[in-house]
Amino acid sequence: MAELQTLDLTPGGQTAHVWQGGDADSPALLFLHPITGIPRWGEALETLANDFRVVAPYQPGWGPAKDDLPGVRDGLDLVLFNVDLLSTLGVGSAHVVGVSIGAWIGAEIAAIRPDMVQSLTLVNPLGLWSENHPGEDPFAQHPGFPTAVLFSDPEKRNELLMADRDPMDAYVEELLDLRASAKFLWPIPDTGVGRRLVRIDTRTLIATSEHDNVVAHEMGDIWRAAIPGAQSVQLAGSGHIADLEAPAALADLVRNFALAGVTA
Amino acid sequence: MKFHWFHGMPWPHLPADFRDRNRSVWVDADASVYDPVEGGRLYHEYLDQMEYAEQVGFDGLIVNEHHQNVFGLMPSPQLMAAALARRTSRAAIIMLGMSIALYRPATRAAEEIAMLDVLSGGRIVAGFPLGTPMDTNFAYGANPAEFRRVYREHHDLILRAWQDPDVFAWRGESTRLRYVNIWPRPIQQPHPPIWIPADGISSETWDFCAERDYNYVCLASRGIAPAQAAMDGFWSRIAARGVEPNPFQGAVSQTIVVAETDDEAQQRYEPHFEYSSRHTLDDFPGWTEAPGWRTERGIRERAAQTMQELANPRPPRIPTWQERLDIGSLAAGSPETVTEQLEHLVTSLRAAHLIGVFHVGDMTHDLTLRSTRLFAEQVIPRLRHLWEDHEDHWSPRPIATQHTRAPRRDLAGVN
Repeated sequence: MAELQTLDLTPGGQTAHVWQGGDADSPALLFLHPITGIPRWGEALETLANDFRVVAPYQPGWGPAKDDLPGVRDGLDLVLFNVDLLSTLGVGSAHVVGVSIGAWIGAEIAAIRPDMVQSLTLVNPLGLWSENHPGEDPFAQHPGFPTAVLFSDPEKRNELLMADRDPMDAYVEELLDLRASAKFLWPIPDTGVGRRLVRIDTRTLIATSEHDNVVAHEMGDIWRAAIPGAQSVQLAGSGHIADLEAPAALADLVRNFALAGVTA
Repeated sequence: MKFHWFHGMPWPHLPADFRDRNRSVWVDADASVYDPVEGGRLYHEYLDQMEYAEQVGFDGLIVNEHHQNVFGLMPSPQLMAAALARRTSRAAIIMLGMSIALYRPATRAAEEIAMLDVLSGGRIVAGFPLGTPMDTNFAYGANPAEFRRVYREHHDLILRAWQDPDVFAWRGESTRLRYVNIWPRPIQQPHPPIWIPADGISSETWDFCAERDYNYVCLASRGIAPAQAAMDGFWSRIAARGVEPNPFQGAVSQTIVVAETDDEAQQRYEPHFEYSSRHTLDDFPGWTEAPGWRTERGIRERAAQTMQELANPRPPRIPTWQERLDIGSLAAGSPETVTEQLEHLVTSLRAAHLIGVFHVGDMTHDLTLRSTRLFAEQVIPRLRHLWEDHEDHWSPRPIATQHTRAPRRDLAGVN
């Protein structure tokens, strides 16, 4: 079973709240969470931990790190947070998996510190903008169920994100996670990473979910075209938060690509 | 008591099926129904109404800022304030307000308010609302996660720009300026009165006003009970500071209709309320909570109500005239009736500044003027004495009229 730890990072001095699981001798995997953070150590991470040493931090501003948002200004600060985390843990390089906003952060890490990234899997990536494929605005949603649009079926928000948690705490965290996402993605999710994608020389797989309301399938093609040598696949049956909606398929996809280079 | 006349400047010609084709009257509402020629005529009509309010005895004229909004055609309150500054001479011009977080650099807001204060002879009230998510975040793209911090920074910069006699450098998160040294400076020293309008319960706004001795403005648009709760919260913060509450530090806005009789008020004015209610009914909820617009404290304060509304959904419908009167979202009727309603409102809330909304929806010019006149002639005199034992420190302090220069038109022969 994994545990949630709090670590002081060097040399940056940030505090990290990080889930870790799996065998310490397994290949390291950095999991970068989506807009909705990490509601629990769930099936996707547990399955990945069978093959990897999973390192899954809350990015500054999300979950227990909600009060750390003012300390990060931009993507570079997020990159440095994750780089410092891996360094503090003694991880020289890792397979990097990012979902949603986490995919943007993963792409930034790969562009800026290619030596630390063994493979890159970007699932439903946010961070590039196309007027032709804007998708739903994740921030213009009903305040009563603000992340429902991120799921293939609105009911799945209750089932996968809110269930088994204190309703008030889960709701407040949901809104604060959206706040953190808005800091980097408002008003349109163009983070500027497009200028840096050409620098990525790591094996890269782009996955888009069949029922993602926010990231159109065509965005996967745009990301693939921008990253040298990238491949792309589609995840059947899932909405934007693929780690919650399609945990087994996501874990399979990552394992096959990261360890064997297989994309089918 | 002081009495102020507010104009929202709505578009009165929406087609009946507008909301069938638009999810909202805000942000992404179809602008093709707007007619600029008619828009120009309306601006003059609306400004005429405000100038008339000064003539009949109102103390202040109120302009506000909205963007991409069918019911608020005033993206720049400064422009309307400038028009009023030339054509009025006595009334306060109350900017209620300017969304200061949207001005970059914020010294632009400091300059424009100073210009207006100078132009008007010191008649300006500077209102600094946080602004709505629709205006600020969705229409103007301001980042809601940063918005409150930006608001505070801009507030601090504006106050210092007005008051610091020296050139200074500003190194903020939002704004960096090597040389701040605005010209002109406001007539009112150290600065124009500052009013903070707040819609709903916000303990942060109470503290912000109480700590700085600003006027707190609450809106009775949802009825007396929520306005009472908001104002009580503010007064509790004042009391906690050991300060004797002064009702002039509080303002309340209320929609007001005055006719000869109660029946006439309903008969002649109700259709114009239905116009705005029909078009704003069940407006798109996605605009109301840009993520980060509320703080964690604000989210928790609001969450219980949100959950209750979800658990007990009520189909939206237009309130009846009587329901509006019952909850107190409207003061309407004969002068006697309106006097009674408003006396109850301002004494319950202990607010000495009353902001009247006299034009609603597609109300005609004549009906607007008539209600305004009846109020000025028959209601103001009955309420004026309220709170007369308190001193008003939150109204403008204009210069003596002998120092002002009225606009002139008879310039023939100057050369």
